[in-house]
Amino acid sequence: MRVELIEKIEGEAKLEYKFKENKIDFVKIVFPHYRGIEEILRNRPVWDALAINPRVCGICGHAHLFATVRAIENLYQNAGIDVNITEKAKLIREITLFCEHIQNHLKWIYLVIVPIMKSIAKINIDQNSFLEIQKAIVNINRVLAIFSGQWPHSSYMVPGGVVCDPTNLDIMQARNFLKNALYIVEKRVFENMAFEEITVSELEKSRTDSGKIFRFLKENSLLSIGKANDRYLIFGEHSFTKRVKIIKTVSYPVKIKYVKEKSQKSGFAKNVTYKNNYYETGPLARMMLLKPNLIKQLHRVYKDGISTRIFARVLEILFLLKKVEAHLNSIELSQKSYNHIKTEIKEGFGESAVEAARGSLIHKIWIEKNRIKKYEIITPTQWNLSNGTLQNPATAQKAMIGLKNSKLAELVFRTFDVCSVCTTH
Amino acid sequence: MNREHLRGLFSAKSARVNTNKGEEYYNSLYERCKARLEELKKLKPVNNVNIMEVLEDEGINRRDFLKWASAMTATLMLPASFTPLVAEAAEVMNRVPVIWIELQDCAGNSEALLRSDGPKVDEIILDIISLEFHETLMAAAGHQAEEQLEDAMHHFKGKYLLFVEGAIPLANGGVYGTIGASGETFEEHLHRVAKDAAAVVAVGTCATFGGVPAAAPNPTGAVGVMDIVKGKPIVNIPACPANPANMVGVILHYVLTGQIPELDSLLRPKFAFGYRIHDNCERRAHFDAGEFVEEWGDEGAKNNFCLYKVGCKGPMTFNNCSIIRYNEAVNWPIGAGHGCIGCSEPDFWDKYAYERPMADANIKAPTGGVEKTVDEFGLGLLTAAAVGIGIHAAFSAVAGKKEECEIEEGDR
Repeated sequence: MRVELIEKIEGEAKLEYKFKENKIDFVKIVFPHYRGIEEILRNRPVWDALAINPRVCGICGHAHLFATVRAIENLYQNAGIDVNITEKAKLIREITLFCEHIQNHLKWIYLVIVPIMKSIAKINIDQNSFLEIQKAIVNINRVLAIFSGQWPHSSYMVPGGVVCDPTNLDIMQARNFLKNALYIVEKRVFENMAFEEITVSELEKSRTDSGKIFRFLKENSLLSIGKANDRYLIFGEHSFTKRVKIIKTVSYPVKIKYVKEKSQKSGFAKNVTYKNNYYETGPLARMMLLKPNLIKQLHRVYKDGISTRIFARVLEILFLLKKVEAHLNSIELSQKSYNHIKTEIKEGFGESAVEAARGSLIHKIWIEKNRIKKYEIITPTQWNLSNGTLQNPATAQKAMIGLKNSKLAELVFRTFDVCSVCTTH
Repeated sequence: MNREHLRGLFSAKSARVNTNKGEEYYNSLYERCKARLEELKKLKPVNNVNIMEVLEDEGINRRDFLKWASAMTATLMLPASFTPLVAEAAEVMNRVPVIWIELQDCAGNSEALLRSDGPKVDEIILDIISLEFHETLMAAAGHQAEEQLEDAMHHFKGKYLLFVEGAIPLANGGVYGTIGASGETFEEHLHRVAKDAAAVVAVGTCATFGGVPAAAPNPTGAVGVMDIVKGKPIVNIPACPANPANMVGVILHYVLTGQIPELDSLLRPKFAFGYRIHDNCERRAHFDAGEFVEEWGDEGAKNNFCLYKVGCKGPMTFNNCSIIRYNEAVNWPIGAGHGCIGCSEPDFWDKYAYERPMADANIKAPTGGVEKTVDEFGLGLLTAAAVGIGIHAAFSAVAGKKEECEIEEGDR
């Protein structure tokens, strides 16, 4: 057995490889950290979760806040209490969530994927690219901060809406920051900003970093490695997603009640299945739902190999930038930001799902005597990086089996945009 | 309580930072800094990067750079005459190696640092300072990264600044946080890397006071760096996340003077934690005028009234975020209509992180001073409330130790 340590995933993971005839036969994924957030939440007043949960993750703290807010709102709804969120609050919540996705994806390309590619073979993307992209990230975070106060870790979403009350000037500033980011992304990542129209041949010819990444994969015969189970899940309901599972290319409705979490012997992360099957969640799942040209074409040839997975994430940057722009243009400032909710309930249950950058994030809350009795968090990396068996490998395991060396396996592993701190909450 | 008494409390010596230490002091400090920079210039840079070249490449001119240096000088509470020295210090930052390790946390401080502010401080961080080791930022990973850490520790023995992000879990022999193939615990790891550091900087509330992992019932036995590392200069930069400006400020101060900045009794740099958020809050005038947001989204919220009654802990929290703000100074929580949760104070997760009005939180100041509700007693008692806050704040500044806040039985 060969053990590799993986850093740069907001924490650490251990990959334990078993080789057979010079190929990876099986991989066990172990996360050696634990903080006990679910234990910490127990017995606290319900709204305290709003301050604790964003701190599950430094990268998708917004998604955790959003999931907490929705879980508490669902708790009230289940108790028959009216929860009325204005369109304005919904748009603002999505703007900040999508901005969090965008900055995460950009960072993932330049801080995670490009360096690992460089360690495999030559790729002509230098530090200057990252420094320029850094400016785009800074601008995106400015858009976020206008509404949320700060990033990471804000508490600006509350059950009933959002606490910010933006003015016209704020919206203008946000548009301006977004425009700066769009300009850089267009120059560096994709020339053609028409999300629906980009094709494989256009990608292959592109002088931007996306083109370079594609050509790198092609020249090194890596376009189709990393195929998993071709099964996807989306639980978060947003303006462009719905609750579905997608098997190959066909969508079916799903329910959270069939999601099962199970402890593992090694490490503190829990396995997650849907009706006892392992699914992939994240940008590839979301793009399989939206079906833009590029993803349809890539999936037809390379299935859920790393090229489809990588470009789903890259393409989502474009899609979300446009989405944020459209949302900023649709906000009706005269609407209320917050509608008071009658919050006096003693017992109940609530659940929620939000699409975090890395996939579906599920929160469940049980209350008793007006205190949290139990809180459960299921994170995207748990979905993608569960441990199955040799006969029934989980998503990332399946994607790594059969590869010739651990360097390639690490590249495949990182295409899932692993987050250790979320996984080991 | 009259207004005079109130003013007395808010301007008590203990609640003040001495920003003017006299001409003689600054003259001698100036000379010392100058000598220090001369010494540093003689050293071989750890990496061969010229800050001005990098800035010019990025389209930043000397004037913009000096503007940043001047802002940084003010942040460090130095007289304006120090601006050229601060600029020079930035230029020789690559003589001071920095090792950054991440323990039990959410990586939020690294994330904040990655997007640090100031003109091109991102470049300063990524290119100019010699970040010899940072798991999230550097190219190396796995075993290679471990070797790199060993090399950096050996090569810069006794000279590097060690930045620590994250708490240290001690329960069950440290099993909740291990690192590397050997399964070294975070505690062992911290001891090993801190041993030859010139100074240790604990970044974020996890590294300083244990943070959210240490929240009751503290399942992993999380503690802060100062509970583990002894016999070394330690600087605490709490907040969740810590403000990147304060991280850069500490490095700059070290480069400039060869010493860690002046600290309060919780080991926080006074330049950053010398006053309460409340003292410089943009909504402070509304507090004084008795104008409060009663409920999010109401007329008060639209008019940026004080957030105290919807749970703001600004009056009890020492930090400079009301001045520095976050994300390129675009905003901060209070700017977005949410009260401060006191994230830079010890035990904030159990004491202050209440997402509801303080009046309902059963939090009592050491003097028993925070009121039940402002409404119940009217404006007269508002003054009493403020006095309670003043006493509380003064207490924490004087005593500088973990404040004993009573939490009623059954509240946890």
